[in-house]
Amino acid sequence: MSKDVRVGVFVCDCGTNIAGVVNVPEVVKYAKTLDHVVVADEGKWSCSVDYITKLQDLIKENDVNRVVIASCTPRTHEPLFKRATKEAGVNPYLLEFVSIREQVSWVHMKEPEIATEKAKDLIKMGVVKAVLLEESQEIQLPVKTDCMVIGGGTAGMNAALHIARQGFNAYIIEREPKLGGLLNHICFISHDHHKIHAAKILKKKIDEIGKHPNIKVYTNAQIEKVDGYIGNYTVTLKTNGKSQKLDISTIIVATGMKEIEPEGQFEYGNDQRIITQLQLEKLIGMWNTQGENENVELQIPNTKLPIKDIVFINCVNSKNGSRGCCHVGCHNSVKNAITLKKLNKDIRIHILYRDLSMIKEEGEALEEAKRLGVKFLRFPDDQYPEVKIENGNLKLKVYDILLGKEFEMSTDLLVLTTGFSGNEGVDEIKGHLKVSTNSEGFFQESHVKLGPLEFPADGIALCGCAKTPISFKESCEEGMGAAMKASIPMKNGYIEAEGIVADIDLEDCNQCDLCSKRCPFNAIQVDDDKQPEVIKALCKGCGLCSADCPKECISIVHYTDEQIIAQVETALAENPEKKIIGFVCHWCALGGVDMAGVSRLQYPPNARLIRVMCSARVSMKMMLRAFELGAAGVLVAGCEFPTCHYISGNYAAETRVKRAKRKFAKKGYDPDKLWNVWCSAADGPKFANTMREMVKQLL
Amino acid sequence: MNDSILVIGGGIAGINCALNAAKYGTKVYLVDDTASIGGMMARLDKTFPTNDCSICIEAPQMFDVDNHENIEILTNTEVRKVKKVNGKFKVKLMKRAKYVDEEKCTGCGSCVEACPVSITDEMDGKVGGVRKLVSMPFPQAVPNVVSVDPQCRHGEMRKDGACIGDCAVDCSQCRECPIALCVKACEKEGKKAITLWQANKNLNFEVKSIVVATGITNAKPVGDLLGYDVYENVITNVQFERLMNAGGPTAGEVIRPSDKKHAKKIAWIQCAGRGLAEGRGVPYCSKICCMIAAKQTIITKEHDPSVETTIFYNDLKAYGKGFWSFYQKAVDNGVRYVRARPYEVFEEPESKNLTLQYEDLETGKLLKKEVELLVLSTGIIPNTRNKRLSKVLNIELDHLGFFKESDPLMSPLETSIDGIYLCGGSMGPIDIAESVVQACAAAMKAVVRN
Repeated sequence: MSKDVRVGVFVCDCGTNIAGVVNVPEVVKYAKTLDHVVVADEGKWSCSVDYITKLQDLIKENDVNRVVIASCTPRTHEPLFKRATKEAGVNPYLLEFVSIREQVSWVHMKEPEIATEKAKDLIKMGVVKAVLLEESQEIQLPVKTDCMVIGGGTAGMNAALHIARQGFNAYIIEREPKLGGLLNHICFISHDHHKIHAAKILKKKIDEIGKHPNIKVYTNAQIEKVDGYIGNYTVTLKTNGKSQKLDISTIIVATGMKEIEPEGQFEYGNDQRIITQLQLEKLIGMWNTQGENENVELQIPNTKLPIKDIVFINCVNSKNGSRGCCHVGCHNSVKNAITLKKLNKDIRIHILYRDLSMIKEEGEALEEAKRLGVKFLRFPDDQYPEVKIENGNLKLKVYDILLGKEFEMSTDLLVLTTGFSGNEGVDEIKGHLKVSTNSEGFFQESHVKLGPLEFPADGIALCGCAKTPISFKESCEEGMGAAMKASIPMKNGYIEAEGIVADIDLEDCNQCDLCSKRCPFNAIQVDDDKQPEVIKALCKGCGLCSADCPKECISIVHYTDEQIIAQVETALAENPEKKIIGFVCHWCALGGVDMAGVSRLQYPPNARLIRVMCSARVSMKMMLRAFELGAAGVLVAGCEFPTCHYISGNYAAETRVKRAKRKFAKKGYDPDKLWNVWCSAADGPKFANTMREMVKQLL
Repeated sequence: MNDSILVIGGGIAGINCALNAAKYGTKVYLVDDTASIGGMMARLDKTFPTNDCSICIEAPQMFDVDNHENIEILTNTEVRKVKKVNGKFKVKLMKRAKYVDEEKCTGCGSCVEACPVSITDEMDGKVGGVRKLVSMPFPQAVPNVVSVDPQCRHGEMRKDGACIGDCAVDCSQCRECPIALCVKACEKEGKKAITLWQANKNLNFEVKSIVVATGITNAKPVGDLLGYDVYENVITNVQFERLMNAGGPTAGEVIRPSDKKHAKKIAWIQCAGRGLAEGRGVPYCSKICCMIAAKQTIITKEHDPSVETTIFYNDLKAYGKGFWSFYQKAVDNGVRYVRARPYEVFEEPESKNLTLQYEDLETGKLLKKEVELLVLSTGIIPNTRNKRLSKVLNIELDHLGFFKESDPLMSPLETSIDGIYLCGGSMGPIDIAESVVQACAAAMKAVVRN
């Protein structure tokens, strides 16, 4: 270790919150005795403006180049101290935060001496880590202003227009010969009370796009290859047999959806009077043009058979074992029923349904349909209507729940409200962009609730029906939202990542490719020789790759093996048989620890917690080291399933803990000493109980 | 700065709108009229259909908002006046005093411990939630500072044992206080952060666009609807959510109000009050209650599989991605779905159990069901602040009281005034993901406006 490492330790009283339990002067005195520590000080309120000034003075006066803050919790106060450290001329990555309020004084209130000893231990662990810390910095990756929008339907067109409005370039890649997607195939937009024809809306959008100098449209286009990453994509495009390359900065996926053909169901395909909703829209479009007559004569094309009775069956290929609710079926059927009634008020329409769920405006459409005389009939979830063709007539048998009776009815036209699946070409796009889809062929967003418009990998946004079926209005909104996501890096001109990133030492690398496959963010790219390279601006620093690397050649800045193992060794230097080493993830597990603190839940003081960004960072080697040194127990704590701030790190950690148990048992250690807990940030009691249980069973 | 935007409402929509705009490089004023940002989501236990812990996923975003140099958070703040001048908006806000110096308060909680008066919490009251007169809205609150109940300072809590309010002069006249225990506790910590003499503060600035993200409110059952006001063990679905929440009044124990015992038989009534006369219930489908019930039953079963859970419903709304399989998960876990609309609830005087009378819609039979705890899914209504705000902003509400888009199809999220945009629950019932989508879209509109 270089000789000029000079550590400053700053211990906070937090009024009486810490100092009321922990003997802070004694802790400060102890800190001064630790190797490399050149100054240690007590602050009444370390986060106050006056103390920050003093802290900065002390750093300068004593030429401190490693800072240890012992106070509340890094989850709330680390950014403040990082800024202060930086202003004092020390690289903020050379700061280590020790939590002696949430992990000590608030949870061991009745044992001041033991609390003081624990605080000393934690500070010593912090100092040992601080000594090994290395400088780092935020990493920037330049991003230019060329956005590729895959799919020229409602969502894609809206996205492109909003991108272009900012002066950025939008390239719309459309598989079909013309723009518009599903909008080409419908007559009216639902819950618009039939005021505007879909074709009019579409024409307006296409005109706007055509006029915009910053939008370039490629129709009949197919993507052959996508290389690179955000700011740096090279896309090979094939249009009308010719290949060309585009330099792209960001990507928006808006590939839409397609109606499922109900082949072999309800006699579909055996009679041209049995059609889907989209096919009905086509007929309506045809009938619509027959003038403004009072009552338009509805006929089946070709056969000219008159239509007096129409039956809709909803929830075809939806809400079953393999597919969910199609979300647009209910109001589509109501919308089309109203249109038909407006074309010819004498038409009899029955909508056979399972559930009708129509919110707000949709509910009003439902009332209108009822007023116009559309009949609704509910059938049981497990008893769909039966359809038969008898002597050329369409016959239905349906059980009406409300009346508890089975009905027979005949119809001139049967319309099936079928579900949707992801569009054709989804699998290719998925491969090109290295993103995932679900079993229904829809793209999987980065988080169902808070990341609906993006993929885990930076630079690729997602919108519209490519994700799940949604309405026209929702598609417009998603297009705009996705444009926002794609615009942020283009507006800034770069993306920035924190300096906590993976670093691969290629000397030992055996090109096994595991790291690039396992990275949830596509941040590790492999070149033609299978040499991995970390795109640092894309790396989120979870450490999954590092812990899994069979050659141990990946290190994570600020959380290196050496640093973490030094913390383990320091914690277990004395009385290891009484100590529990806990590896806790920064997000939820540490949130749970903090919650236990805020709630003043008292639990045994045996734990020495080591913070990692994600539980997936905890390698076998780290756990094993604690066993070798005789720890009473080892705990790996991560986010409660299914939450993980790195997509699935906790799942990887769980698998690894299971493997570690088997492996350690073979080595002669007691596998029951290795615990894990998956704890939400709100669940202080769960963490406190885990501590109590571990102490009860292991000590 | 005239290139900044104003976001009204600090729930999940407001937070996402602010974060996106700030990351884009726009200065954002994020205003909330409560003491913390976070909104409804901060009080939930889990989110459907994945059962993610709500605060676990929201808190990091709240934290990002707090630390973003482009965002200024203004809590306890109301928008008072908005005037459009030369295409920009001159806005006048009022920051209601928290009687706490937000710069000095560290959220340590010593004052809360010292406060002698506990009162029933507005949200959690029926399920045993109490708070002190000086309190933190919730542990992860942003900003992480306490606030003093104005009632206390105005002397209205004296009868409940409040330590202040008996003086000849009111608090605004003093600059220190020898009586208030919270002030003393804070001084003992060496902070002097509690300032009972703090006054409301007016703020004025100019912005180029405004995003309304005022969010949703859960409908309170009116009067004796299905026994709500009469029987102790009838609660709303939001109150049940608080019961499930490890950070809630019962630390996550599903215990019923009357005897604090774990409820073993629980029923949910969906669409409670729907279709009743005006003012008695919500006249439309709120679309998220079905999934809330599915979530609550699944979590209840996870806590204790022996609990019997029944959901009385009419139409099942499982409209979003993964919602249907979430419903199926509930069914697979043993949740009983009954297509029925209970019409009457009686309490058994001894046990305080509840007997529901209902017509099974599938069999037409009139049946009874006894449960220990009854949860009413009452639906989502417009926020009470919408009315006043619509006047201040001079934009329209629809007949239900939600904000109205001027042309939902051609220019979604826009209002009749150019430069004022809508997102999230301000326009109607909505779930978190949809709010986030609209928030991003509204942010896009707001930042590009010149």
